[in-house]
Amino acid sequence: MPRSVNLWRRWRKAGPLDVVRLRESFDHVAMHGDELPLFFYSDLFIKHPEVRELFPVSMAAQRGHLVDALVKIVSQVDSVNDLTAFLQGLGRDHRKFGAVAEHYDAVGASLLATLEHFSGPAWTPELATDWKAAYELVGSIMTAAADADEQLRPPWWRGTVVAYERRAFDVSVLFVRPEPRMDYLPGQSVAIESPSRPKLWRYYSMANAPRSDGLLEFHIRLIDGGAVSMALTSSTIADTELRLGPPVGALTLSQPSSGRDLLLVAGSTGLAPLKAILDQVAALQQPPRVHLFFGARTADGLYDLDSLEKMAAQYPWLTITPAVSADSKFTGETGSLPDVVARHGDWSGHDAYLAGPTEMVQEAVARLTSAGMAQEQIHIEDFGWSEP
Amino acid sequence: MERALTTAWFNDEGRLTPEELQTVTFPMSRLGRRGYEEEPVQRFLRAVHAEFVHLANERASLWQDVQRLRRRIIAGEAGGDPNAVLFGKEDAHIHAVRILSTAQVTADRYVADAQAYSSRVTEEARLRRDDIMREAEQHSDMLLEEAHARAREAAVSALNVAAPPQTDRERRAAQAELAYLRTYSEVYRAHLRAYTEGLLRGIEDWERKEAASLQETASLQEAAQGHTDRRSIGH
Repeated sequence: MPRSVNLWRRWRKAGPLDVVRLRESFDHVAMHGDELPLFFYSDLFIKHPEVRELFPVSMAAQRGHLVDALVKIVSQVDSVNDLTAFLQGLGRDHRKFGAVAEHYDAVGASLLATLEHFSGPAWTPELATDWKAAYELVGSIMTAAADADEQLRPPWWRGTVVAYERRAFDVSVLFVRPEPRMDYLPGQSVAIESPSRPKLWRYYSMANAPRSDGLLEFHIRLIDGGAVSMALTSSTIADTELRLGPPVGALTLSQPSSGRDLLLVAGSTGLAPLKAILDQVAALQQPPRVHLFFGARTADGLYDLDSLEKMAAQYPWLTITPAVSADSKFTGETGSLPDVVARHGDWSGHDAYLAGPTEMVQEAVARLTSAGMAQEQIHIEDFGWSEP
Repeated sequence: MERALTTAWFNDEGRLTPEELQTVTFPMSRLGRRGYEEEPVQRFLRAVHAEFVHLANERASLWQDVQRLRRRIIAGEAGGDPNAVLFGKEDAHIHAVRILSTAQVTADRYVADAQAYSSRVTEEARLRRDDIMREAEQHSDMLLEEAHARAREAAVSALNVAAPPQTDRERRAAQAELAYLRTYSEVYRAHLRAYTEGLLRGIEDWERKEAASLQETASLQEAAQGHTDRRSIGH
């Protein structure tokens, strides 16, 4: 970290780089839209065909990621710490894709060729030097972070699906044995790649705290047209070998404990990270009181209610309130989950952990905030720099 | 051939013309608000933006061609093989880049179409399943209601049929049966009472134990609290 910060300083102060000129140049080429990343990847794959196999069949999303990253890098050159953290994360993240140091040179050369192609007459030797230096800096921060990460953990874990349970029409629960053993904080997630959808990674949260047998529980909801979720909810997933990226995410119990009681709000498979946190709370000497709201559209979407109710019967500090939003037959709470939570009184003295569909989480956060809950008491699923 | 190379990846259909820019009109907004309706203006701006991107790409491409040809002329290669002149190594690369780009975009479109199709199929399956479930529920409701209605009918007709007994013998038999039923119902009541009382005792026991354990926890917490307080004072 200190090394990279110094590099940035050198660039911004006296160095040969002209940040203003770089930005102008980028604005100029950025107007070419999707043609820019399209040219870049084609140039890269023709010069280095072996790199192609690191990418999925469809490159549409990938092109968006590249442009987003470039925009972020160019626009944030001034906020050194943020950008360094972003690049370090990016460098570590690329390990699981199989990126190695040589690839960085290849990418740099293609990036320069692309910029030159679209800059037209505006491309000068000085500009070329600036871009080259800027890319080398970015590449060095990414590779340094990747190298440091290599000392700590593998680029990805092999994960064997040892059990598969279909719990609802569109929800499956997988038990996966990672090799080597994986250490993580309850509430964290990993990116998963299925062998039938190569190079497509999607994030899923572990639904249990680390266990002695090392097994990881995942709750997978079938998303309409979701390439990866469809592969993972298929019954053929049993016994297959997945790839798991390193654990990420900050939806974890605050340490040291705030001493406040906990409000957990889970929409559908958003239950997974919160169940892991429940697991962790259950192992505490003096568990806080926990109220878990578990919501789904219909009663059969409450796919894990049995095991939750068993926990509630076992632990006096735990209260479970299931709720459904579109099932008039349901005998328990009905309505949208944020409404149900709000109906149950004043939560401002609690720590809240929320996970589930984005809209539900946003709505619930808005309601809790307006009811007087402070920002630092609210924890939601956040993948930071990574693409969920 | 060169022209084809440059424009192969551009589609000339539906392009914005300068005339269109001069003749474009927007509907006026409704009463109470001034100026144009927002949506048509936004739509037009998007079209203008797309056109500019298109032009910029075309210009960059043409500029590359001009540069290349200029270099050829300067290098004096015009006297050599005309094919080599028009299509050197550099051009081959750019040409390959364009072919690959087109292939990639086509592949992307196939994947996107497949995904959209699978999305539609899954969504339809989900909706169809919801329909089936709803129908089944309605059907079961109907069956239940029918059963209730029949039971009611049976009860009513049974009451109507039971006419007062006529003869002495019948009256004695009915009274004996009544006595028997009374005894039986008393026995059942006694059983039920004992059972309910047992349940109540269980609930009381539970309440007592919970209160005791809460008290215990509270005193433990108090002790812990006291400990923390002392420690923070110590600081």
